[in-house]
Amino acid sequence: MNTLIAIGAGIAVLGALGAGIGIGIATGKATEAVARQPEAESKIRNTLILGCALAEATAIYGFVIALMVIVMLK
Amino acid sequence: MEELAKNLMEELECKTVFTIPVLGGLEIKESIVVTWIIMAVLILLSIFLTRNMKIDHISKRQAVAELIVTKLTGIVEGMIGEKGKAFVPYLTTVLVYIGISNIIGLFGFKSPTKDLNVTIALAVMSIVLVEAAGIYYLGVKKWLHKFTEPIAIVTPINILEVFTRPLSLCMRLFGNVLGSFVIMELIKMIVPVFLPTVFSLYFDIFDGLLQAYVFVFLTSLYIGEEIE
Repeated sequence: MNTLIAIGAGIAVLGALGAGIGIGIATGKATEAVARQPEAESKIRNTLILGCALAEATAIYGFVIALMVIVMLK
Repeated sequence: MEELAKNLMEELECKTVFTIPVLGGLEIKESIVVTWIIMAVLILLSIFLTRNMKIDHISKRQAVAELIVTKLTGIVEGMIGEKGKAFVPYLTTVLVYIGISNIIGLFGFKSPTKDLNVTIALAVMSIVLVEAAGIYYLGVKKWLHKFTEPIAIVTPINILEVFTRPLSLCMRLFGNVLGSFVIMELIKMIVPVFLPTVFSLYFDIFDGLLQAYVFVFLTSLYIGEEIE
């Protein structure tokens, strides 16, 4: 049973994959944008932080569910 | 591991502080008491900062108050734009409340936003405001017509959005606060010295304020979309 719980929690955390890819793409594009227009850096940074916070939410959902799986099923 | 799970569950559970004996006993939870504390601090601070206001030869206290108000309303106005000026005071209040309740864990209180009921209430308030703004600015007919835009076939999705928007708002806030809290507890358990301070800068302060910003940003985005 414990093994199954561990596997379930691991699968739930796979949601972090999407957040990682999303934040990676966003940061890459932001770097390109800053390289092209250095004067717009502060605006780009704000948008990037906001986008990262939104993308991170999926990872957080996965984490919370993994935690619930571990704590509730035990 | 067993002990940690027990500790976490204890921390996450919102205890009833006392019961008001009306309507068969109203339970007052811990999150409500902490909310009252935040409200009291904010109200007292506002009264203290806005006493004896003058037009010229302003005191230092008034200068600080003006700085705070201009900065905060400036942030919200930048998000919602010229059209939604009427919503700026409400959104600023929500920003200040969520921001303070996210970082109040540093002072030994239990964050109200760690209670799912609080975030649900905030999200419901947001969506009611969004739809009410739509009705007020466009009128019932145009507001109803907005559900069929851009084409009639997306109407079910548009109606579903009324429910998924508050759901994602409240789950995002709750999940982030809960997640950062759990990570902080784990770090404290593994390395009790120095390292928690560094991580608490990110997880408690930066992430807490960022989530308050995101919540208000999304609400203002929805309002802006609705009154367009």
